[in-house]
Amino acid sequence: MTRLSRPLASAASTALAALALSATAQETLVPGPGAELTQAKCAICHEIGYVTRAPQSRARWEEVMRVMVQRGTPVTPDEVKIITDYLATYYNPEGPSAAAQAASAQAAAAQAAADPVTQLLNRNACLGCHAVDKQVVGPAFREIATRYKADASAGVKLAQKIKAGGQGVWGQVPMPPNPGLSDAEVKLLVDWVLAQR
Amino acid sequence: MSNVIRAAARRREFLAQLAGLGALAVPGRTLAQAVTPPADPAGTVPNSVVLAQKAQSFTVHSARPLTGSVTAEFHDFDVTPNDRMFVRNNLLTPDLDAAKHVLRVRGLVEKPLEIPLAQLRKMPSFTTQSMLECAGSGRAAFQPRASGTPWSPTGGMGCPTWTGVSLADVLKMAGLRAGAAHVAFSGDDFGAVATAPKVIRSVPLAKAMERHTMIVWAMNGGDLPKVHGYPLRVVVPGWVGSASIKWLSGIEVLDAPFKGTFMDDSYRIPRTPVQPGDKLPADAVTTEAWPVKSIITLPGPGDRYKVGGRLVVRGSAWAGDNDIERVDVSLDGGKTWERAKLAMRGEKYAWRRFSLEVPLNAPGEVVILARATGDRGNTQPAVSTWNPLGYFWNAIPRVGILVDKA
Repeated sequence: MTRLSRPLASAASTALAALALSATAQETLVPGPGAELTQAKCAICHEIGYVTRAPQSRARWEEVMRVMVQRGTPVTPDEVKIITDYLATYYNPEGPSAAAQAASAQAAAAQAAADPVTQLLNRNACLGCHAVDKQVVGPAFREIATRYKADASAGVKLAQKIKAGGQGVWGQVPMPPNPGLSDAEVKLLVDWVLAQR
Repeated sequence: MSNVIRAAARRREFLAQLAGLGALAVPGRTLAQAVTPPADPAGTVPNSVVLAQKAQSFTVHSARPLTGSVTAEFHDFDVTPNDRMFVRNNLLTPDLDAAKHVLRVRGLVEKPLEIPLAQLRKMPSFTTQSMLECAGSGRAAFQPRASGTPWSPTGGMGCPTWTGVSLADVLKMAGLRAGAAHVAFSGDDFGAVATAPKVIRSVPLAKAMERHTMIVWAMNGGDLPKVHGYPLRVVVPGWVGSASIKWLSGIEVLDAPFKGTFMDDSYRIPRTPVQPGDKLPADAVTTEAWPVKSIITLPGPGDRYKVGGRLVVRGSAWAGDNDIERVDVSLDGGKTWERAKLAMRGEKYAWRRFSLEVPLNAPGEVVILARATGDRGNTQPAVSTWNPLGYFWNAIPRVGILVDKA
């Protein structure tokens, strides 16, 4: 006996699944010292819900970060320390302290005042894999600007890469697509990247 | 099935769909929050393609890595259909070419092998029905919450049929050398960064040589779906799902358990219970066979009946490497218990279906519990032992229904 006949789960569910997957709302971490770095590094491989839904003790977060380094997260030991502190401060079973909440409010204000490019870079986890002047997982923004400096179609090519993702120009590590960005946002990012020489 | 039940089931599936639309701001943890834009690098199967083949009742627990399942009331089948089988990826879903697929066997063997899939398929094969269940199945029921995939208290398991060869036959072809004690499996899936290590797990030789531990290419009579390991996977029945490596391309015979992050950092439990909230002790052990467990597949939570009708309680029970001896059902929240009827014993590692039919004489809420007992006297607990990584939730399942006046 089936609870649900197969035809019910046909075209409609396919369309719904596609819709659900195109939803761009990605969960974000509460603002605070280290929030951007944490968001950028964790979101390379897994959704942020893995962080937000199960607050842990500091000892457990230290353990989790040790394991995440084993799982290939591209982070330096200093970055591990910043991320662990952030998680233990804002995602522990008792919640953030009064001081941590004040720091969070301050960080939120700073975030809101940040220039649009910084906001976009933070919100889309760009800095998990890219830095301005050094290679992390993907190429440095400066390297990209240098490579494309004489290319008249650079704007179009980079916009395409940001939106649809890419692979093979700089190596075999894929760049994930960012279908949620508007054309105006993409243009802002492309212009900024190309100005990094 | 009564119309009332069917309506309830449809309502639940419909609500699940609405949550999936994402545009609706539903408070609490919804599917909309769980779904994030997927990374679809070259050589992978997009989540949208995987999910189009799943039932409407299939709930995505995380989009990256892709995990999802249906809850118990959508598992009311003797054999789990493909669209209800749980998904637990560690990395991305690779899009592999069966024509080029080769299985390599190396390590402590007389003769290392490279077997093209087409050749493997010519070996004597068989079909059997076996349980697979993620170690974290039911994790969301643990308090305090453990990190990891938030599996619902029910779901995260399935019992389809598998077609392939015994791993033992392949190992015999290669010939085991002295000292062979563990067998490690690796697949062709890969992660978002090149630094992500491969998912490699090993099992002790005794389990590897058991006839039902298989290398399979078919599930429910057809090619393995891509998300379930196409074109080849291992099935280590009754054990934690992570042992059953998907997209299998490598087998290595070792003298000790494989050393790696998926053996040493995950899928481990304390030897003795720890304080809830504590971290994993250094002497934790790897997870192997599931303990005894059951689910109630009929009725579903909140289903409504009428006085004068009959209630059929139905479910499935399993016990890792052991057999099911009995299942008791309570219709009064555990005050009294009645022995359910067990279906004929099937394949060794298939779940055992049970049922109980009773008249409904009085209006009100009916709290249904099921308690399975294995052939070693092992019985489901009221609450499972808390452990840091949230494995082996096997507590007595509970379903509440409402009986209306006639």
